Amino acid sequence: MKLALSVFKDCISTVFDSAEQLIIVETDGTANSRKTAHKLFAADPIKRATELKTLGVEVLICGAISRPMQSSIRSQGIAVHPFVRGAVEDVLSAYQNNRLALPVFSLPGCRGKADGCYRKQSRIRGQAPGARCRWRS
Amino acid sequence: MGAKNTRIKPSGPLQDEQGIILDSIADGVFTVDQDWRITSFNRAAENITGVSRDEAIGQLCKDVLKADICERNCCLRATMKSGKPIVNKKVNIIDAGGRKLPISISTALLRDKKGKLLGAVETFRDISVEEDLRKAILSKYSFEDIISKNHRMLQLFDILPDVASGGSTVLIEGESGTGKELVARAIHHLSLRKKQPFIAVNCGALPDTLLESELFGYKAGAFTDAKKDKPGRFQLAAGGTLFLDEIGDISPAMQVKLLRVLQEKTYEPLGSSHSIEHNVRVIAATNKTLEELVRQGRFREDLYYRINVFRISLPPLRKRMEDLPLLVEHFIGQFNLLQKKDIEGISAEAMSLLMAYSWPGNIRELANVIERAFILCKSREIEKRHLPDSLSADPSTCAPQKAHSLRDVEAAYLLDALKQNNWNRPKTARMLGMHKSTLYRRIKALGLSRPD
Repeated sequence: MKLALSVFKDCISTVFDSAEQLIIVETDGTANSRKTAHKLFAADPIKRATELKTLGVEVLICGAISRPMQSSIRSQGIAVHPFVRGAVEDVLSAYQNNRLALPVFSLPGCRGKADGCYRKQSRIRGQAPGARCRWRS
Repeated sequence: MGAKNTRIKPSGPLQDEQGIILDSIADGVFTVDQDWRITSFNRAAENITGVSRDEAIGQLCKDVLKADICERNCCLRATMKSGKPIVNKKVNIIDAGGRKLPISISTALLRDKKGKLLGAVETFRDISVEEDLRKAILSKYSFEDIISKNHRMLQLFDILPDVASGGSTVLIEGESGTGKELVARAIHHLSLRKKQPFIAVNCGALPDTLLESELFGYKAGAFTDAKKDKPGRFQLAAGGTLFLDEIGDISPAMQVKLLRVLQEKTYEPLGSSHSIEHNVRVIAATNKTLEELVRQGRFREDLYYRINVFRISLPPLRKRMEDLPLLVEHFIGQFNLLQKKDIEGISAEAMSLLMAYSWPGNIRELANVIERAFILCKSREIEKRHLPDSLSADPSTCAPQKAHSLRDVEAAYLLDALKQNNWNRPKTARMLGMHKSTLYRRIKALGLSRPD
């Protein structure tokens, strides 16, 4: 599975729409994972969504994201965890341990809402509810 | 700078008073300490960002504001570093509902009574209504791919659909770079021929014999190396529009041939003994005054009247300087897309320089200047240093005009100042250090008027 995190330095980039850097974490179903850095080129929602699809991304964890951008990415079958903040390693660990919904990982304005800021945890096609949270299957 | 962990510690009653004042302001206001953590957050800020005060206080400002500049070009950081305030910078934020909002932000340092640095203050205003309005106005000033708010151009926008549907030959006159081909393309797109080809030929670029074979084509064996038939532009434009640029440069012999083609609606390819009928609309353009060429005997009168069924005269850029900011914005948007950059605009100083230049190369020259600035500009705004030196060295902008009287000197001086400020009179008055009513009075007395 390919998980992408939009980053700025060692943290999740605050705004995905203007983020330029992506870390892609690839896992083979075991404890092994491989991280690669990618530069995002497109700014337009449709082109950015296509760029993610081309990279084979299945799940995106990002900071604040505009609605058109999120819709475009979801329309490519990519699950989006928006309005997330924190250090990359902490966020990754929280995702792996199904703790990403903790308030500490939500940007202000999104805490206390069950799904963060209009966060609809869309499922990856073909997966059962909750399966997306299991990092090591 | 004081201790790193200095926090703004407001006292009780003052805080209440401050709180009431801050909440009564329509603009969003927040303050940060030196660690970028929010120390106060007013009601308008809550409404704009969708983040409640309780949630915002103590948070990093970037996490609350969620602006596209936070990570790389933070205004508060720039103000804290330089000590200089930033005024009305346009940025985009994403509110808690996922809406992308354009806001205008201003920043300043925050000091206590003793001048000790406490942090910084940021005020911001939702400008989405202004932005929508600006887009609406821009669409009003756009026609096909032509952008203008000049009254002559707006009149042209009104008549172009009628000209297009008419099907007659059109003559477009205008200096080089004024957008003659753009108008020709607009006429084509508005006409019933829009699904057929639009073919452009630069008559001035080709010698006579080559132009003839280009326009009418040739048959195999018409001349050495003519091994097979070649269709001419008239054939390629069948059912569509043929744009003949620089028609004033064609030779007398070619003028005769073209006249016959336009009159009889037939042409003969080189080496052919048969005439071919054509159904092509011809739009001719020239950067010369054809009437003058006719008077000098360099252009056939009969051909002139044949192509001059409807004449469109395009004003040079120096006579439609009110379009310059619109055109600059248009080209910045265009080059942002083409070069994948995110330049937001142009500084007031750079714009003044553009406004003072005479633009002999017209809009094409302006496009080149902006493209050049894009190569040099690494910031979000085009500055004066990104513009070519030739703009500053333009004699029309630098050399004093020969004046005959004190009145002339005053008129030239005021005109220059008005041009620099894009005819913004209050701004000009401020620049000159005079009251605006004095300036209005002098403009009237000297008979100065804005160029059309």
